[in-house]
Amino acid sequence: MQRRDFLKAVGAASLAPGAIDDAAADTATSPAATVLYDDHVVALDHVGPDSKRAAGALWIRKRDLPRVNGFALKPQGACRADLCIPIPKEMVRGDYLNLTAFAKKAGQLVVADAEARVWSFGEMQALGGGLSSSRMAPDVTVPDRLGRPVHLAGFRGKKALVVTWASW
Amino acid sequence: MAQDTGGEAAAGKWYDAAKATFTTLVDTLHSVSSAFQLINVPMGIWIDEDGRVVRPAEPAWTSTRTSVYGGKALDTEGEEYVAALRDWVTNGDRSPYVLSDEEFARRVKPRSPAEMEAEATFKLAVWFQQSGRPELAAKYFERAQTLNPDDWNYHRQEWSFTGDADKKWLEKFKGFDKEYYPKLQLKKGG
Repeated sequence: MQRRDFLKAVGAASLAPGAIDDAAADTATSPAATVLYDDHVVALDHVGPDSKRAAGALWIRKRDLPRVNGFALKPQGACRADLCIPIPKEMVRGDYLNLTAFAKKAGQLVVADAEARVWSFGEMQALGGGLSSSRMAPDVTVPDRLGRPVHLAGFRGKKALVVTWASW
Repeated sequence: MAQDTGGEAAAGKWYDAAKATFTTLVDTLHSVSSAFQLINVPMGIWIDEDGRVVRPAEPAWTSTRTSVYGGKALDTEGEEYVAALRDWVTNGDRSPYVLSDEEFARRVKPRSPAEMEAEATFKLAVWFQQSGRPELAAKYFERAQTLNPDDWNYHRQEWSFTGDADKKWLEKFKGFDKEYYPKLQLKKGG
């Protein structure tokens, strides 16, 4: 059973196509690692060998960094918008970057189930600490009832009332 | 915005019954609660045309009443909330219900390390629930609840899967020593 079909079968039908990075979604086997980051889920088909041994450490391919957290590697470090975080050499091994070490450097908590190969990342303090430090609404993407992604920023130009509720 | 890990299967019939004409979203990952520091439902957030948060999370009821559960009162203040909302829609920045920067900063605090860990842990729990691994979900739901016991979403979402939700809710509600819904602070000019 392909991964997306599996998720739909267990009731995750409203995960928008854009909410799951599809690099590994159509493979017949489980991804090497799954990253839960902000409002999206990234399936990684390649991780560094340490990720399979050391509890919690996650080494990802450098080229996967942008789709995980929006950062890109440049000579001055890992950069996203106006922020660049220097990368010490021990955080890099060939084509791989230690994502969990990077998170720690950026003030970001990580909770991992290494056996299940799932890493969940919290708020990144280096980006400003969320709503407590800026009145600008975070640009969250949430699927509609048909699974189509809706960006909160898409409501600019209008007043928006966001109301959360639940069936429970 | 349904905060429902169960997805359309859980939330859809309620949207249908409401005959909703507004944008209807199903937030299985609780992303909005995470981004805006919401710990219960229903909660409302006002955002202006420039993407600025005018009023952060507060109870968003439409009716005013007092209900009693297990001998303990639960108040909703919907009429006042809706009146304030209408004023803002009409008057925009001139509305007295637009919070000052100082008041906003007073109401929205940085998350503590335990709260941040709870958030990341809850996401893990939701993931395992959606992936058909309830035993792992239960482990991480419990951990999130321990790290941030005041977050009702963490509890209520899990109870929706484990059963006896009403009983468990009542037990926690009766023993909860804080306000279940914070009182609205609609002081003009605040």
